[in-house]
Amino acid sequence: MSPQLIYPLIGAGLFSLGLYGLIVHSHLLRKILAINIMGSGVFLILVALAKRSGEMPDPVPHAMVITGIVVAVSATALALAMMLKLHTETGRTDLPDDQQT
Amino acid sequence: MEISLLSTIFDVLLGLSLLGLAWSALATTDLFKAVLLFIAFGLLMALVWVRLNAPDVALAEAAIGAGITGALMLSALARLNSPHTGRAIASHTTDPEKDPSIQWWPFISLVLVFIGLAYSVFTFSPAFMGLQPDVYSQLVNSGVENPVTAVLLNFRGYDTLLEMLVLFVALLGVWSLGENPAVKTPFISPVLDTLSRLLTPVFILVAAYILWVGAHAPGGAFQAGSILGAAGILLLLSGWQLRKDTSSLFFRVLLLAGPLAFVALAAITLLIQGQLLEYPPAQAGLLILILETFATLSIGVTLAALFLGGFPWSKNRALK
Amino acid sequence: MLSMLAQIPFDAILILLPLGAGMLSFLWPVIARALGLLTTVAVLMSVIGLGWQIQQSGSHIHLLGGWSAPLGIQLYADGLSLLMLAATAIVGFAVSIYATRYFSRRHDEVRFWPVWLLLLGALNALFLAADIFNLYVTLELLGLAAVALTALTGSRQALVGAMRYLFATLLGSLCYLLGVALLYQTYGTVDIALLGELLESSPGVWAALGLITTGLVLKTALFPFHFWLPPAHASAPAPVSAVLSALVVKASFYILLRLWLTLFNPTDDSINNLLGLLGATAVLWGSIQAFRQTRLKLLIAYSTVAQIGYLFLAFPLAAASGGLAWNAVAYLALSHALAKAAMFLTAGNLIHFDGHDRIADLDRVVQRLPVTAWAFALAGVSIMGLPPSGGFIGKWLLLEAALKQGNWGIVTVLVVGGLLAAAYIFKVLGNTFTEALHHHESSTSVPARMEWTAFGLALGAIILGFTATPVLEIINLGSPFSAREISP
Repeated sequence: MSPQLIYPLIGAGLFSLGLYGLIVHSHLLRKILAINIMGSGVFLILVALAKRSGEMPDPVPHAMVITGIVVAVSATALALAMMLKLHTETGRTDLPDDQQT
Repeated sequence: MEISLLSTIFDVLLGLSLLGLAWSALATTDLFKAVLLFIAFGLLMALVWVRLNAPDVALAEAAIGAGITGALMLSALARLNSPHTGRAIASHTTDPEKDPSIQWWPFISLVLVFIGLAYSVFTFSPAFMGLQPDVYSQLVNSGVENPVTAVLLNFRGYDTLLEMLVLFVALLGVWSLGENPAVKTPFISPVLDTLSRLLTPVFILVAAYILWVGAHAPGGAFQAGSILGAAGILLLLSGWQLRKDTSSLFFRVLLLAGPLAFVALAAITLLIQGQLLEYPPAQAGLLILILETFATLSIGVTLAALFLGGFPWSKNRALK
Repeated sequence: MLSMLAQIPFDAILILLPLGAGMLSFLWPVIARALGLLTTVAVLMSVIGLGWQIQQSGSHIHLLGGWSAPLGIQLYADGLSLLMLAATAIVGFAVSIYATRYFSRRHDEVRFWPVWLLLLGALNALFLAADIFNLYVTLELLGLAAVALTALTGSRQALVGAMRYLFATLLGSLCYLLGVALLYQTYGTVDIALLGELLESSPGVWAALGLITTGLVLKTALFPFHFWLPPAHASAPAPVSAVLSALVVKASFYILLRLWLTLFNPTDDSINNLLGLLGATAVLWGSIQAFRQTRLKLLIAYSTVAQIGYLFLAFPLAAASGGLAWNAVAYLALSHALAKAAMFLTAGNLIHFDGHDRIADLDRVVQRLPVTAWAFALAGVSIMGLPPSGGFIGKWLLLEAALKQGNWGIVTVLVVGGLLAAAYIFKVLGNTFTEALHHHESSTSVPARMEWTAFGLALGAIILGFTATPVLEIINLGSPFSAREISP
């Protein structure tokens, strides 16, 4: 396995791990953690594969990942605030499963 | 040969630690531990970015991904547990969901997703250049020397404009959820008090430096802005009460300084040059610096406001 | 004069104006309402201007920053983008007028306008985008704004609905972004047109296709990923529900359609058939669930789930239908936008009137709120697919395509779906047009503009039943539906 495949594989692993955590956990904070880890997985794949072009890495994925990090913190902040409000209103930190599908 | 084997082993260890931290963060039932592990994960991630020759991303990850996000989560956790006393972390941080065993269907889909991704990763050709030649050939026309800054603020500046509005919309969303419940600040230790007084000017200086240096070395508006945001959070933690007129126009303008500057510049370039955000090459460097300065201010204020949570209390309710 | 008109960059204005207005309405809340109305008028006029430009000189490209792809980002407008922009402008205009009266408390109003205008800007930016990473950023802006608006009332249901919506939209965006990452790292560009030329079948591309499709399908609430939609759309304030069902959910569908046409277009039938099957299930399941509801807004939300299913029925038909199926989809999307927005606005009127939306208790509405009742009836005609209406034209085109190919499964679904829709629409109409057992005395009168905007939108959906030829001509400007092919 060539060394430059290590990090993309780790990224794939983080994405899968985060996805599992998102589905399995019901506590909202842990769901938020899981989403962040998934995001990090995607960013890792982007940047790790950018290093293939030799000494000077491709800067476009770097810019994309910085954008992604800012988007992630925005979404996390909103999600946390909503979780707190939900907790104040209902006393629970998970979503009720009584919705009909 | 030796060195490359060593570095491969190092990368494998680093990667596995990353996975291990992520797994523990998700698996532990103690929420406080989970957040701490997540912060550690973020810092290790920053290390990985350095290893991958991405110092700008490393700065952003450490400051925003690990730092600000971690602070937001800890603050949220604290409010979950003791909303009235503001006491740090109580004992009820354990997630009541107790089933530690692996749930099979999600696990199978996890494995399938991973295999699918891994397989496609293997098919990537190793000699791929991406847009690196394009960026470097146009770098001289972009007004800056740092290629990431060139992409963020010039070549793909439109994305950055939208991204700053994403940050702003998140704040609007948080504010529309309600007022900031009055968090009674407990006894502030003199250590924290002194430290924050000493550190705040340092934070501001470092932020200004990173902003300035971002034009030709790793750094830039987002990294600088998040350091300012961290300074704001430190001040808030040490009991700095926002003055009652912070919902004033001045505060609002500060929040929007970055996006406003972008939109204004976009409109002006549209009128003059005919294309949105087309900078005249001679002034490009200056324009980028101005944009980044306003952006830094906005990002810093927005991040601190996000940490604060609810809408800043105003004595004039009608303004809300 | 006309040559000056051709020079005005309407596409850039469509994006900058709402974004700028959103920021200004935050800085000066006093002018928020007026600014919002003015902006939607300006947006409407700019869409007309852009339409004229496209008609004169074909599809329109704008190089942002003066850099052409692959280094820079481009804006692109053709008939399909114009269709979505028009739907956005019309619904946006009506909803804004409605909102000036709906939000009676200053408190709510001040929190509505900035986010709403930013959402409008995000929609326009999305429909004009030609770059898959740019689309990711617009999707996030759209998603967060939509979630913020859903949670506006702060009620328990709204918070739960908004939270589920947030997780669904974030998960969708991340899957989408991973697909974008894989595509970029294979071809070195995120520009849709360039990618379209370069794309070849490979495991990485298939993984990207799967990820992007999954992400977008989740955001479009296609069965079985529809779980988040009914709680979110039903518990949001009425004008927000209208925008969510009419526009936001179509935005991710638009991206899917665009990428399907320009990038992927797999000739492998299995994916197309899968999407068609999921669409058929959505039509049947959504309609049945709609019929079972006791609350009006939930009924309307489940109706959206069903109507989205119709959009996906075109995928199995598209390859052999020569653009007919896609024309049907476009027409359905536009008609549904107008009709569904009208329905949610009428629901808002009813709640304003009597304080509730229980279907069984909607009595004598036709006597006390005739405009609202007729608005619902007209909108229902389009949703059911009865002539004359836009919904009828869309379903007719779809039926024609299915019959030509002998796809009896889809024909059956269309017929049964129409019957089920009639069932739930008449369930509501039956209650509103009859005398009730009790008298409900205490009601708040509904402001005229709230009634008439609902009616106007519903009327628009009916008028679309008469304008098939010109509208279809406009949709096909720039030939968005001529697809390229890749084979597995």
